[in-house]
Amino acid sequence: MSNWYSDKENKNCVTVSTRIRLARNLSDLAFPSQMTNEAREELKLRMKSAIKQNNSPLIKSLKYIDMADVPENEINAMVERHVISPEFARTNTGKAIILSDDESISIMVGEEDHIRIQVILAGLCLEKAYKTAQELDSILNEKLSFAFDPKLGYLTECPTNLGTGLRASVMMHLPLLESTGQLKQIGDSVGKIGFTVRGIYGEGSKAKSSLYQISNQITLGLSEENAIKNLSQIVEQIIEKERKAEGYIEKIVLEDKILRAKGVLENCRLLTSEEMMNLLSLINLGIRLGIINSEYETIKLLIEAGPYMLMKKYGTSTPEERDIKRAEYVREQFEAYRKA
Amino acid sequence: MKCEKCGKYEATTHIHTLSNGVVSEKYLCSLCAEDEGLGVTHHNSIDLLFSSLLGDIKPKETKKCTFCGATFSQITEKGKVGCAKCYEAFRSELLPYIKRVHGSTEHVGNVPNSSIPEMDSVAQLREELNILIKEENYEQAAVVRDKIRQMEAESNE
Repeated sequence: MSNWYSDKENKNCVTVSTRIRLARNLSDLAFPSQMTNEAREELKLRMKSAIKQNNSPLIKSLKYIDMADVPENEINAMVERHVISPEFARTNTGKAIILSDDESISIMVGEEDHIRIQVILAGLCLEKAYKTAQELDSILNEKLSFAFDPKLGYLTECPTNLGTGLRASVMMHLPLLESTGQLKQIGDSVGKIGFTVRGIYGEGSKAKSSLYQISNQITLGLSEENAIKNLSQIVEQIIEKERKAEGYIEKIVLEDKILRAKGVLENCRLLTSEEMMNLLSLINLGIRLGIINSEYETIKLLIEAGPYMLMKKYGTSTPEERDIKRAEYVREQFEAYRKA
Repeated sequence: MKCEKCGKYEATTHIHTLSNGVVSEKYLCSLCAEDEGLGVTHHNSIDLLFSSLLGDIKPKETKKCTFCGATFSQITEKGKVGCAKCYEAFRSELLPYIKRVHGSTEHVGNVPNSSIPEMDSVAQLREELNILIKEENYEQAAVVRDKIRQMEAESNE
């Protein structure tokens, strides 16, 4: 299996990735914000032994990493790859991560809740991702007793996660709904039924990646299956609307924009991450419309040419050096796609 | 976490907005919070927000969670519950808020395995023992202590 941002797994171009997160807490330890250092160590120990004692192939494929052993740049690169949350990356003491090789499974230990099971896959596959998360949940539950209340469900540090502790989200590329101004209306209507549409990357800045996350907000009083079913239906409707919007824009105008973006990426010598996002978004739209061939891997480039990912790869330190390396890297990749 | 609006400063204000029964979350720095008309003039602003969500319920400030020691005002200030036992200790105070967030107070969905692993049972009994000692309930504490000894002896056999 490859990473969630491997475009080879995802040729739909509208739905980029699927993420399932389950929040769990141990019944006999204070929640992380109230935890002492000793309790944090105890939590890590219990998680470590819960995994060690399990012989299922799924668990055997995971590795336990103490966050204190991870260099700061790699921690930030993990945030860029969506393996851990920015909240989790803020401090590294008393935290651990249990990770699969392809990083599709990451269990954060000591985040806002004791345990955050995350499964992230390329494309739209809510049921598959949930099934894996559920399997991990029940395996961990064999050794660990989770905080649960018959009325309130799984107990979480923030009451907004009470109940199932499930956050299901789908990342979507919606440049046309964005440019035709329909997204706000969609956001308002899904908001009324307990779902949310949020821009990711460069929200509020000049960068327009046109990537949005659609997820459930309500976790109490709605079963996991129904939350996923509802989300799935909403996503299908949004895909349909985004596709329909293709007819609203003059093709020659789009073609011009997309091919100009390609020209810039093939020839640039300095590339900021903002400019890259804007241009890759156009390329992604171009693939969907059949203007650009499907060898081009936009999401992979977006992640791999992030500031910390570049620092990790080339050891560059200043933003100027990174812009040079980013341009070089993207040019090389585009050259390879062109030849493919 | 950086402010969602400006992206420059640390988010210090966590805002839950309720509209048509749906709650949206925002993390803002103090400057942007002020722009949104949620000026932070003292550190209890979230407390005030929480209290407005909670209506007229005035918790007894002397009440503390027997497990983690959190008071209700600490919970509202941080927007975070201290431990699983807090949900029992402050149930009546939290329920109206939970109802407003989720529109429900009845869990539907998966439940954990009912069998609690032995290791955790002993750990739980130890916690219970600590609480009983703190409460100076020595009679009950002795019963729990004997139970722990018995369980440990059994597991060593």
